[in-house]
Amino acid sequence: MSLNELWGYLVLGVVLGCLYAVIAIGYTLVYGVLQLLNFAHSEVFMFGGFGGVLALTAWTPVVNPSGMQSVLYVAFGMAAGAALGAAVAYGLEKVAYRPLRKHNAPRLVFLITAIGASFFLYNLAGKLFDRSSVAMPQMYSNETVFTLFDTDIKTTHLLIVFSAVAMMVGLDYVVNRTKLGSGIRAVAQDPEVASLMGVNIDKVVSRTFVIGGLLGGAAGFLFGVNSKVVYTMGFLPGITAFAAAVLGGIGNVRGAMLGGLLLGVVETMTVFFWGDDWRYVAGFAVLVLVLMFRPTGLLGERLGRTA
Amino acid sequence: MLNKRFMKIAAPLAVGALVLTGCGNDSGSADGTYKIAFQGPLSGENVQLGVNMENGIKLAIDEANASGDYEFKLEYFAADDMGLPDKATSAAQAALSEEVLAVVGPAFSGPADTAAEYYADEGVPAVSSSATRADLTTKGYGSFLRAVPNDSAQGAGMAKYLASEGAKSVVVVDDKTDYGVGLADVAIAELKKAGVKAQRQSTPQKTPDYSAAAKRVANTKADAMIYAGYYEDAGPFAKKLDEAGFDGIKMSGDGTNDAQFIKLAGGSADGWKLTCPCTDPNEEDATKAFAEKYEKEFKRAPGTYSAESYDVTKMIISEMAELDEINSDTLLKALKKTKYKGLTKEFSFDDKGEFRNQTVYMYEVNGKKIEYEGSIDDLTKG
Repeated sequence: MSLNELWGYLVLGVVLGCLYAVIAIGYTLVYGVLQLLNFAHSEVFMFGGFGGVLALTAWTPVVNPSGMQSVLYVAFGMAAGAALGAAVAYGLEKVAYRPLRKHNAPRLVFLITAIGASFFLYNLAGKLFDRSSVAMPQMYSNETVFTLFDTDIKTTHLLIVFSAVAMMVGLDYVVNRTKLGSGIRAVAQDPEVASLMGVNIDKVVSRTFVIGGLLGGAAGFLFGVNSKVVYTMGFLPGITAFAAAVLGGIGNVRGAMLGGLLLGVVETMTVFFWGDDWRYVAGFAVLVLVLMFRPTGLLGERLGRTA
Repeated sequence: MLNKRFMKIAAPLAVGALVLTGCGNDSGSADGTYKIAFQGPLSGENVQLGVNMENGIKLAIDEANASGDYEFKLEYFAADDMGLPDKATSAAQAALSEEVLAVVGPAFSGPADTAAEYYADEGVPAVSSSATRADLTTKGYGSFLRAVPNDSAQGAGMAKYLASEGAKSVVVVDDKTDYGVGLADVAIAELKKAGVKAQRQSTPQKTPDYSAAAKRVANTKADAMIYAGYYEDAGPFAKKLDEAGFDGIKMSGDGTNDAQFIKLAGGSADGWKLTCPCTDPNEEDATKAFAEKYEKEFKRAPGTYSAESYDVTKMIISEMAELDEINSDTLLKALKKTKYKGLTKEFSFDDKGEFRNQTVYMYEVNGKKIEYEGSIDDLTKG
């Protein structure tokens, strides 16, 4: 085992971690405003992957695209993925969760609805897409961009890391610096007072879902580029990203990012040291260990002080 | 107690129902119509492998019905197990409750291990044209016949080929399925026998991210890599192997031998060696006519195991024609002794139901096509 070898895995871990982080944000945002574990978010992510594939297949990419064309394809695919993700998340909130809020349903009912919605979307996608895998159309040739300490950094790696970081920075800005962001934070801290101060709660909740859906959908697209798109693809990354959100402190946006990165690196390092059999064992062992000593997660629950 | 009272009524009813269905075992039919079932993945991720076979079977049945050569009519019954062991029981029971005469399949090894017992209990012949895990024939399932060389043959073929290519060290990656682990076991044993260094890695099926697994393979700097698994995962894995810069020989078995592999892997499938106990119906002279008919009927070229499934169905039909009294028992006895010359190969079974002919063929991915190279015995001769 050399240091350069370890570095190679670290790079892969960061790439995977970036994807987890972007998905985890969706869990954490919704939890922040509704104290709801939106288990259907993994299916929002999956639909994002299909959105990208469908859009790109409809607009068949040329065989050897030039640099500019590649950028265009990627942007288009990601936008399509994000749009479908956002649409599914918006619909989900409207159809499944809003009626429950109107009736002041107990917390447990929300949770069960989330699981039910997740199963529904999962099987719907299975039916719609024949339960078979599809590959993301090739948008660029995956060349080595540069080599750092013996590790080839490929186009795909850069694409994932750069888009994920851009999304995270953008989101951080939205939550902390914009009017919508202060609305989200206000609802997270105290919905009643927020509504007395003139915040339209329904609108804020709905937009929170849309933001989570945008990020989840874009992550689904990136995930598809990285491997493939299939209706079962949501489950494992979804549950890992959920763990990442809890690890970082659920409700805390920066915590979700940190948790995602950490789990990605831990998983990849586990594969390096012990093999793929141990991937999830180690990832979730870290989760349990951290929660034993810091029950509120690494950065604590910050966005909402309730729960 | 309601529950107790319910059980008192329900239990005898259930037993009665079981006895009744058990009686319907003679699978004969008054009007001379018999059902032949196919058990395999007709939905789910590996559906393409199942559809390849289903089409072959349907073609054989339609031909027999249309020919007018037989005194009986045949019907097709689809028993979908999604290729999953936990769906195999219900698929087998669906077929048995339809009183099928014989089953082509189960297609995959895991489901075969589960379902073979049900078929054996009812004495219904189950002839698989694709379940290749070695130990299926050593478990004493009385009615299970394997019409395909098993994984021992495939693993041995892989080892022989790699040794003849001068490979000194090989990494074998299994996908933790029944099929993958079985194939990997044999491949490693055979590689060691041939004096090649072999090491094993496992990456469970449906792993969302193959980059770390691929990096591990690349870091071994081995001369060759064998992936023992199905195309669904071989596709993304191939992509990542390319990314990790692995430049040895890349090889996989019949589970990957499907056009879908090339689609999922993008350009990264190029140069992969794929073994298969199946011949390419589009290449061999004997099966060309079959390939044309198939293409006309289903608007696509026959895939992996299409011709073999066609052959197996034809073999069942031709044995039925020889029988005075047609039922599952007489058919099973006849099949065990058969010497049927099909399009792809000659079919005969040893006393355990194992296939006698153990030839394995080599294919290579070239661009968008899986090209047929010939039998491994021929390829390694020179």
